[in-house]
Formats: sequence, C-alpha cells, structure tokens
Amino acid sequence: MDNKEKNAGQTAEHEHISSYAEHFGTWIALCVLTLMTVFISVFGADLGSLTVATAMLIATVKALAVALYFMHLKYEPKIYRAWIIVVMALFVFFLTMVIIDYITR
Amino acid sequence: MDHFVLPNSGHNFDAKSSKMGMWLFLYTELLLFGGLFLVYMLYRYANQDAFLLASFELNVWMGTINTLVLLTSSMTIAMSITALQKGNNKLAINLAWATIFAALVFLVIKYFEWGAKFDHGYFPGMDHYNELPHGERLYFYLYFFMTGLHGLHVIVGGIFIAVVIKRIKSGRVNKNRISLLENSGLYWHLVDLIWIYLFPLFYLIH
Repeated sequence: MDNKEKNAGQTAEHEHISSYAEHFGTWIALCVLTLMTVFISVFGADLGSLTVATAMLIATVKALAVALYFMHLKYEPKIYRAWIIVVMALFVFFLTMVIIDYITR
Repeated sequence: MDHFVLPNSGHNFDAKSSKMGMWLFLYTELLLFGGLFLVYMLYRYANQDAFLLASFELNVWMGTINTLVLLTSSMTIAMSITALQKGNNKLAINLAWATIFAALVFLVIKYFEWGAKFDHGYFPGMDHYNELPHGERLYFYLYFFMTGLHGLHVIVGGIFIAVVIKRIKSGRVNKNRISLLENSGLYWHLVDLIWIYLFPLFYLIH
C-alpha cells in the first residue's frame, strides 16, 4: 500500500493534465486543415506539382498537432522529442539510400 | 534505492517506464509504415500517370469522412485521459466507448469502400486487376496492403481500449494508475497519425 501512495504522489507531481478545451481546439484545427487539404486537391488542381507538396505540408502540420497536443509530446521530457528526431533522421537516411539505389541503376 | 519490489508482485508499477516503452514501440511502428511509404514514393515516381489514373477510382468523400471520424476519436480518447486524471471515471469510460464507436464507424465505411473495389475486381488476383497496366496494379496492391495494415491497427487499438475500459471498471486502472489508458491512447493516436499521411497519398494525389 505504501507503494500506491508513493505513486499517487509521483503522478500528481509530474503529470500534466491537458484541458478539455485544449483537446477541442486541437480537434477544430485538425478538421479545418483536413477540409483545406481536400478542397485544395479537389478544386485547386491547377496548382500542378505544388498540390502534392501542399498536401504533404498540411499532413505534417496535422501530424505535429496530434503528436504535440493529443499525445502530450509537448509536455513530455525532452528525450521523447529527441528520439523522434532520431527516427526521422533514420527515415531520411533510408530515403536517401533508396534514391541513390534508384538513380544509379 | 528507497524501496525494493519483487518482479510480478503487482507492486512494481512504474508510469514513466511504461510510457517510455510504449513510445519506443511506436517509433518502430513509424519505421514499419515508413518503409511502406518509401515503396509507395518510389513506385509513384516511376508510374506517375498510372497512379493518378488509379487514384480516381477512390471515393474522396468517404476518405474525408473517415479522416474526420478518426480525428474525432483521437480527441475523445485524449479527453478520456483528462477525465480519468481528474478522477471522473464515468466520463472517462464514456469517452473511451465513443472512441470504440468511432473505430467501428471507420471500419464500416472502410468495408463499403473495399466492398466496392471488390465488386469491380480491383483486389490483387481478381480478373479486372490482372488486366490493369503494371502501374495501376502497383497502386491497388499498395492501397490494399497499406490501408489493410492500417485497418488491422484500428481493430487492435479498439480491442486495446475495450480492455482498458474493463480495467477502469474493475478499478485496476484509476486516477493514480493511468498508464494503460495513456498507452492505449498513444497507440490510437498513432493509428490517426498514419491515416493523416495515407489519406492524401491515396485519395488526394490528383
């Protein structure tokens, strides 16, 4: 039982409690971005090659919003964000290798 | 070392390690889908016209509705964590149920989408699929594989959340031991994250 009390103390000390309003605001932003990307794709096809870049940019903004606010990444210790950068660097490395492989064939 | 606990005694609860372990797992999931995205990018680059043509077979509006459904479910599970942290178990359970409901809605819409593709013979191995040009076949192969793997994650996430609801009811997950709900939430957000990229890549590449 002693442990439980300890954990209770730990939880209260370190956990950040996000407000309902913050989650709701994030949701609104995500919905707006989704509708934006759909409208750009369906009605703004004359953007040409920019359409793909725009869609990926909006997707990345949405992914950041989900990670930072829904997944509480903003309130976690720095190590979590550092790891994300390592994962992204690894992905970019794989991407580079694949591109090099493709163009040198 | 201020206290010592036997492993598996039920008293070795460690919220920080639980969360870190979950995140490490999520990073491997990102790389799993990352590999598939690489395959998609390369084949799309090599077959641009075919991918464009094939993408017109997908229903943008069904995809949009599904995106909104997943975003909403991400909000409800995030709010469920807030509710449990504030000690409001009832609300936490209801919000978790809302998330499972959204998962079911997503899967039903996916069922109709896939069903339409099956009716037209677009599934790899079907007659119409075999007659398609090489590039379009690659597109449908990747479409079924990637949305299928994502759909599997939706099912797993839904079951995970159902288990957590059961444990909130029995009191094993509570205000002070929130890790399991948090981890199921993290997993659910990952499902959402992957869909955020799948949706524009397959539906909006015009």
